[in-house]
Amino acid sequence: MPVANTKRDLAANRMIFEVRRDPAKYESFAETYESVMEEYGLSAEERQAFRDLDLIRLGELGVHPYFLPQVTRLFHGGGYNHNKSKAAQIYGRSVVEGQGKTR
Amino acid sequence: MADLVFVTGLSHAPGLTGWLDQAPQHEQDSLTEGFNRLGELLRATKPDVIIGLANDHVLNMPMDDIHDFCVGTAAHWKGPSAWFKDWVNVEPYAVDGDAAVAQAVFDGLTRRGFDTTSKSELHFDDNWSVPLLYLTPDYDIPLVPIHMNCVVPPVPSPETCLNVGKAIAEIVRNDLPDGMRVAFMGTGGLSHDPGGPKYFDVDEEFDRWFLELMEEGDAGRVLRECTVEKMVAAGDGGTTELLAWIAAMGAVDGRRAHTVCYEPSVALRCGMGCVFWDMEKETADA
Repeated sequence: MPVANTKRDLAANRMIFEVRRDPAKYESFAETYESVMEEYGLSAEERQAFRDLDLIRLGELGVHPYFLPQVTRLFHGGGYNHNKSKAAQIYGRSVVEGQGKTR
Repeated sequence: MADLVFVTGLSHAPGLTGWLDQAPQHEQDSLTEGFNRLGELLRATKPDVIIGLANDHVLNMPMDDIHDFCVGTAAHWKGPSAWFKDWVNVEPYAVDGDAAVAQAVFDGLTRRGFDTTSKSELHFDDNWSVPLLYLTPDYDIPLVPIHMNCVVPPVPSPETCLNVGKAIAEIVRNDLPDGMRVAFMGTGGLSHDPGGPKYFDVDEEFDRWFLELMEEGDAGRVLRECTVEKMVAAGDGGTTELLAWIAAMGAVDGRRAHTVCYEPSVALRCGMGCVFWDMEKETADA
């Protein structure tokens, strides 16, 4: 899932792009992401990958790699994002260790 | 005719401000000392304005309207963008822009055929928030930010970026007011892979090779050897941010870079360092 695999018109990419710019959306994203995904028209596959917090799958579907660690921060917070932080650990389990699904 | 008085390339990865205490002590000391020294060097040249070039991080240019370069034209800027504040751990700041300088840069790049847009509103993340804290901690030097697309293919080539740096140096000399003192900084890099399998790795061999290229000052060799493919191999998600350093190299008229510090920081998930070019005391032949 290299950068070259990015799908510019993927609904998930547009959703992540806009959510990070909108406090009304990012502050509650972990609780409301089902309705946000509905709003942006994500495909069934994209939605399931978010439910599974499966970063490998999101990458395969064409989410920009740079967004993948940001997805972990949308769910688990971005503060003090060191290698043992919850967000970085989940990224590590999904992508580096290759587990894919993390829930 | 304005003067380009200082040029630098420096990392902007958020660990430097966000979780530096997690790095080994020697990395903390080396990077804090080095980035502070870079700030002292820059401020000693008394720039009236800083023109910056850095990764947009797909934060301001949406994927259906991406340009190679985006000049920020506002008279005032604020950062960090709210969602990134906790991440970069930088207190909210305000820094002036310079609409006239920005317009001259935009016009000059557009006239030369670079794929350039402009925006009067930009969200700042680590791209400016981390460098400014070290370079201008009082936020008292106006910034003209140029955001670039270096992570959504197709990205501008190293040759395009080198030529953008040359163009910016020409614009400074030809199109900005007499006596204005201008600094240029390219931020990003070195090797890192946000979003890829090498998230917790740094390619120290690549980084040291790249720093040697900057110190050698041979632009032709950079274009021959430092390809996008080579940068991608050293970390797909972010290493192409070094295109901003290649632009900086294009602005210095053959001078050699001086490395201030470098640490292959796994704790910060990035090869971290900075270089500068001495524009006042050294000539191209030095």
